[in-house]
Amino acid sequence: MTLLLRAIVATEDARVAAELGLTAVPATGVAALASAWETAGAAAEADLLDHHRVIQAIFGRVPCLPARFGSVFADADALGVRLALREKDLATQLARLGHRCELAITCAWRDSGRVAPATSVPASTGRAYLERGVARARTQKERQQRADEIVARLLGELAVDPAFIRHRTCPRPAVAVSMSALVTRDEIDELSSRLERLGAQLPDVTTVVQGPWAPYTFAVSE
Amino acid sequence: MRDAATLDVPLVELVDRLLNRGVVLTGELTISVAGVDLVYLGLSVVLSSVETIRGAGAEI
Repeated sequence: MTLLLRAIVATEDARVAAELGLTAVPATGVAALASAWETAGAAAEADLLDHHRVIQAIFGRVPCLPARFGSVFADADALGVRLALREKDLATQLARLGHRCELAITCAWRDSGRVAPATSVPASTGRAYLERGVARARTQKERQQRADEIVARLLGELAVDPAFIRHRTCPRPAVAVSMSALVTRDEIDELSSRLERLGAQLPDVTTVVQGPWAPYTFAVSE
Repeated sequence: MRDAATLDVPLVELVDRLLNRGVVLTGELTISVAGVDLVYLGLSVVLSSVETIRGAGAEI
């Protein structure tokens, strides 16, 4: 039976597989939780979002490391072989991360269309082309500087160990900052309140806080 | 009422994590996701369209 990997949990927590309709593939210290995967060809967007729902269901019950979507194994034996190769590392990660949550903090530009795409209508003259390029570069530089300022504000407000923060500035045209914070469940309410207050002080971006999620960003592949 | 950015950007952020973060056990087969490029592109188009409409409206 083909299996789609969902998450890694401690072996003693693999009991949740039964109540969630999952298959547990145990190693010595950790276990892989997977679903039967019978879809032929490519997955659909609904499968992607279902992956998140399954992981959240696991994470709501026991500490876990979420799996990147799309890992398919021919059967439980194939999954077990791969799990055994990474078991020690996964157990270490699980102990460090499994009980913590990821908060996703996104600051989206309120005027996301201000930076013109590079492939817009051709300029009528060479001068117009160059002026357009200069204007675009200037705007992008200003945005980068502003995004860096926003990151500094967020880091100051969060006051979380830097090891528990990941961020990218201007990852997409509409987004100034994409940040992930690894927090404990009892920190969530206070941090969310502080971020909401800070967001109200940032007039050029819309600040959205999502989570708590399983620690996607902090679960290292290798 | 939430604007387009607050509706769509969070979904892109989630999709980004599901596809690009999380544990990978090397050696497995990786399935592709039909239409994911369209998810990203579609959301960008929605955002761009909203801004275009707003810009056009402001000029009228």
